[in-house]
Amino acid sequence: MLAFLQVLSSGIAIGCVYGLVALSFVLIFKATQTVSFMQGDLLMLGGFAGLALHLAAGWPLALAALAAVLAVALLGAGLERAVLRRTIGQPHLVAVLLTFGLGMMMRGGVASVPAAAQDMYRLPFAADTLVLGPLVLAASHLWVIGATVVLALLLAAFFRHTRAGIALRACAEDARSAALMGVPVARMHTLAWALGAGLAAVAGLLLAPITFVHLNMGFIALKAFPAAVLGGLTSLPGALAGGVFLGVAEALAGLVLPEGAKDVVPYVLLMAALLLFPTGLAGGRGGGDGR
Amino acid sequence: MRRTAVLRPLLAWALLLALAVAWLGADFAFGQATLVATYAIAGLGVVVIIGQAGQIVLGQGAFVALGAYAQALLVQAGVAPLAALPLAAAAGALGGALASLPAGRLGGLYFGMSTLAFALIVEELLVRWESLTHGSAGLVVPAFGLAGWTAGTPAAQAAISLAVLLAVLAVCARLLASRLGRAWRAVREDEAAAAACGIAPAAAKLRAFAVGGALSGLAGGLYAHWIGFISPEQFGLVFSFELLMLAFIGGTRRLAGAAWGALVVVAIPQLIAVLRDTLPGDWARSAGLELMLFGAVVVGVVLLRPQGLAGGSGR
Amino acid sequence: MKRLRSLALALSAVMAGAPAHAAEAAGVSEREIVVGHVSDLSGPIAMLGTPVRDGMLMRFDEANAAGGVHGRMLRLVVEDAGYDPKRGVLAARKLVQRDKAFAFIATMGTPVVMATMPVVLDAGRLHLFPFSPHKATYEPLHPLKFQNFAPYQDYMEAATRHMVERGDYRRSCLLYQDDDYGQEVMRGVEAGLGRLGRPLVERTGYKRGATDLSSQIARLRAADCDLVVLATVVRETVAAMAEARRIGWQVDMLVTASGYSAQTHELGGDTVEGLYGVSVLPHPYAEGANPRLAGWIERYHARFGTAPNVWSVMGYTLADMFVRTAEATGRDLTPAAFARTLERIEFAGDDFGSPAYRFSADDHLGNRHGRLAQIRNGRWELITDYLR
Repeated sequence: MLAFLQVLSSGIAIGCVYGLVALSFVLIFKATQTVSFMQGDLLMLGGFAGLALHLAAGWPLALAALAAVLAVALLGAGLERAVLRRTIGQPHLVAVLLTFGLGMMMRGGVASVPAAAQDMYRLPFAADTLVLGPLVLAASHLWVIGATVVLALLLAAFFRHTRAGIALRACAEDARSAALMGVPVARMHTLAWALGAGLAAVAGLLLAPITFVHLNMGFIALKAFPAAVLGGLTSLPGALAGGVFLGVAEALAGLVLPEGAKDVVPYVLLMAALLLFPTGLAGGRGGGDGR
Repeated sequence: MRRTAVLRPLLAWALLLALAVAWLGADFAFGQATLVATYAIAGLGVVVIIGQAGQIVLGQGAFVALGAYAQALLVQAGVAPLAALPLAAAAGALGGALASLPAGRLGGLYFGMSTLAFALIVEELLVRWESLTHGSAGLVVPAFGLAGWTAGTPAAQAAISLAVLLAVLAVCARLLASRLGRAWRAVREDEAAAAACGIAPAAAKLRAFAVGGALSGLAGGLYAHWIGFISPEQFGLVFSFELLMLAFIGGTRRLAGAAWGALVVVAIPQLIAVLRDTLPGDWARSAGLELMLFGAVVVGVVLLRPQGLAGGSGR
Repeated sequence: MKRLRSLALALSAVMAGAPAHAAEAAGVSEREIVVGHVSDLSGPIAMLGTPVRDGMLMRFDEANAAGGVHGRMLRLVVEDAGYDPKRGVLAARKLVQRDKAFAFIATMGTPVVMATMPVVLDAGRLHLFPFSPHKATYEPLHPLKFQNFAPYQDYMEAATRHMVERGDYRRSCLLYQDDDYGQEVMRGVEAGLGRLGRPLVERTGYKRGATDLSSQIARLRAADCDLVVLATVVRETVAAMAEARRIGWQVDMLVTASGYSAQTHELGGDTVEGLYGVSVLPHPYAEGANPRLAGWIERYHARFGTAPNVWSVMGYTLADMFVRTAEATGRDLTPAAFARTLERIEFAGDDFGSPAYRFSADDHLGNRHGRLAQIRNGRWELITDYLR
C-alpha cells in the first residue's frame, strides 16, 4: 500500500509535466490551428536558459527562472510573427514540418555550445524530501504539482476574467466572428504562441530537478502528445487531466503489470482512447473534424 | 505518358550522378546514390498516402521496419534475397493495412496520431519479441546476393536500388492513372463528394496504405542489406519524420518529389559535412552546426516552396 | 515504358563496370597520416562523444607539436553519426573514400559500429578500439580488428562475483536499460551469480530516456533485494539511488562503468554516497592529482574550456596507443605492419592509472579487467585492484 502511494505520487508529478506540455500544445493548437512539434525543444531551451542565467550569469534562481520563461515566451511570439503565421490555412503537415525544423535549429543551437553538449546540470533547488508519517515525498515532485495547480488556476482566471483571455477564447472558437467583433486575431495568435512557449519553458524548469538539464530532455514531449490527444486536443483542462492520467497509468503499470509493459502503456491507451472516444475523453465538443 | 516527360528528368538525374562521380569519386557517389534511391522508394510510400490519398501519416518508419525485419529474417532462414523482397513489401503492405483501420472512425489529425501510436507499438514489439528479432541487440543482415554473386560494391548496390526505384516509379505512374488513383484524389479533395460519386472512401484509404506500406516495406528490405545491421531504434519516430520531411521537401503531389526529397534528406547532411571540413576553427566541428543548418534547410523549403521542390499543384 | 526499361539497364551496366579504388596504405602520405573517427556528437551518447574526441585531438596535437610520427602529421577527421547506423555508413564511406583514412578509431555506439565495421574492413583499413560492448569487435579474429575494452559482460561477471563475495549478499537484483547494453550486463551478472550458485532474485528494465524510476525501485524493494546492480547511465544511476533513499531504502547498489563518472556524484550529491561502481580507468580528479596528471588536466582545461572526465582520458589513451604503435612501426606504415606492431607492444600503466593493455597474434582484446570503486566523501575511490 505504501509502495503504491509512493509510486502514485511520482506518477502524479511526472503526469503534471506531461500535462503542462500537453497544455502548451493544446493552447497553440486551439488558438491557431497549428500543430507544434517543437514543444519539447522549447522545454529544453527553457531549462538551459534558466541554467545559463543562474549558473553562468549569476542571477538569483527565482529571477533567472522568471527571465528564462519570459525569454522563451518572447521567442515563441517572435517566431509566430516571423514564420509561423504563414502556416495558417495550410494543411496541418506544413506546420508539423515547420515546427520540427525550427526545433532542430534550436537543438542544434544549444548543441553548438560545448558545455551544453557535453554535460548535464542540476538547478539547485528542491533537493530535499518531505516526510508525512510513513510517506516520503520528494520536494521536486511537490514543486511540480504545486506549480501546475497554480498555473492552471492562473490560466483559468486569465481565460475567464481578462479581456485578452476572453478575446483569445473567442478567437479559438470562431476566428472570423471574433475578427468581426473587433478582436485583433493576429495579435491573439502571437499571444497564444507566447503563452504556449512560456508554458513549455516552465515545464522545462520544473523538470530540471527531476531529470536534470540536458540536450535530450525535450523527448519527454513525446509523451505529451498522447496526453493531449487523450484530452481531446482542444480542451485545456482535458490536456492537463490527460497528462496526469497518463503519468499515473504509466507508473502504476510499472508496478503492477508484467515487465516491459510500462513503456507501451501510453500508446496503447492512446490507441484505445482514439478508437473508443474519437473526440477525446473530455470531448464531445468540436474535436472530431481535425482540420 | 509522353516520352519527353519521362526522358528529360531521367537525363537530368543521370547527369547529376555523373557530376557526383566526377566530383566525389565513384564509390562515394554510388554509395550516396544507393541510399538516395532506397530512401526515395520509402518516400514514395509517403507520397502515395499523403499526396495522393490525402491522409496524414506520422508513423511511416514502422512500415520500413516491418519490411527490413521480414527481409532479414527470411534471408537468415535461407530464402534468396531477391525472392524475399516481394515478401518484405507484403509485410509493409500488411502493416499499412493494419495502420489504416482506425481511418474508419478517425479523421485528419486524429488519424495521424493513431499512425504515430501504431509506429511506437511496432517498435516496442520488435524490441520485445526477442526470440524472433533479437530485441534491441539487433540483427546482422548478409549482403544482397544472387546465385553465388554478392552485391558487394557500391556500384552494384546503386544499380540494384536505382533499378528497383525506376520499376516502382513506373508501377506507381500506372497506378495513379488508373481508377484507383482517381479514387484517391477524389477522396483527398472531398470525401463526401467522392462517396456520392460511388467511391468507397474506406476502401480507397485502405488501398493507399497498403500500397504506401508495400513501397516502404520494399525499401526496408533493401535498406537492411545496404546497412547490414538493423535494430528497432533505427526505425523510430525520427526516421518517420525524416520520411515525412523527405516527401514534403520533394513535393507530395508528384512522384518525382520522393526522389528530390531523398536527395535533400540524404545528401544535404553529407554535403554540409564535406563543406564543413573546409571551414577553419573548432566551432565548425561542433555537431550543432550540422543540425542547425539542416533545420534551416527544412524551414526554408517549407516557407519558400510549400509545394516542394518538384512543385506542381496536383494532377 | 520500354525506353525507360532499357535506359535503366544501360545505366546499371555502366555502374556495375565502374572501377573500385585500390587501397594501398591509404591515408599515409609523405607529410600526413589521416585517422577517421565516427562519433556521436548529437545523439543519445553525445555526452561521451565530445570528451572522447577532445581527448584524442589533444594527444594528436601533442604528437604533432613534437614533430609528428616519423615526420608525418596526424590529422583526425571527425564525423558525427548521432547513433544512427545509416549516417554511420555514409560517414564511414566518406572517410574511406574521400578522406582516405588510414585507420578508424573509437567508433561510437553499437548500431553504428555494427553497420560501419564491414565498410572499414572491406576497404582494408584498421578498425581500432570501438565504443561498443559487442564481441564482434574483436571476435572472430581479423587482422585489422582490435578492441581495447571487454564487453560489459566480462567486467560485470567479475565485479558481481567479487561484490557478492565481499558483502555476502543473498538477494541480488538488477535494474537495466532495455537495450543491448542492458542485455550484455544482465548476462554478466547472471554468469557471476551462477558461479557462486546464487540466483538473480528480481530484474526490472526501463526504456532509454525514461523519466521516472519509482515503480522499478518499488518493484525491487518488494523483492527484498540486498544488492541492486545498475545497468544504467549517469542520469538513471542518480535517479535510482535518489528514489531508493527517498523511500528510506538503504540498499547497496553497484553500477557499471557507464555510471562511473564524476557527474554521478556532482549531480547526485549526498544521495549517491556509498554507491559502488566498476572502474576501468580512474577519473582524473584535479584534487590530489600527481604533478604530471595535474599538468595534463590544466592543459586540457586550457585547450577545451571544460574539465576533463574519464571519457577524455579514454580518448587520450586510445590516441596515445595509436601514436606509440605508429611510431614503433616505423616509416613504412601499412595497416598490416601497424597491426603486427600492435600485437607485440605492451602498454604498461600510465599517469592516469590505466590498466595494462596487451594484444597478441591470436587475441585482439586488450584488457579484460576492471576494478571496484565507491563514492566516498563526494568522489570515487578505488577500493580493489584489477579483478581477475
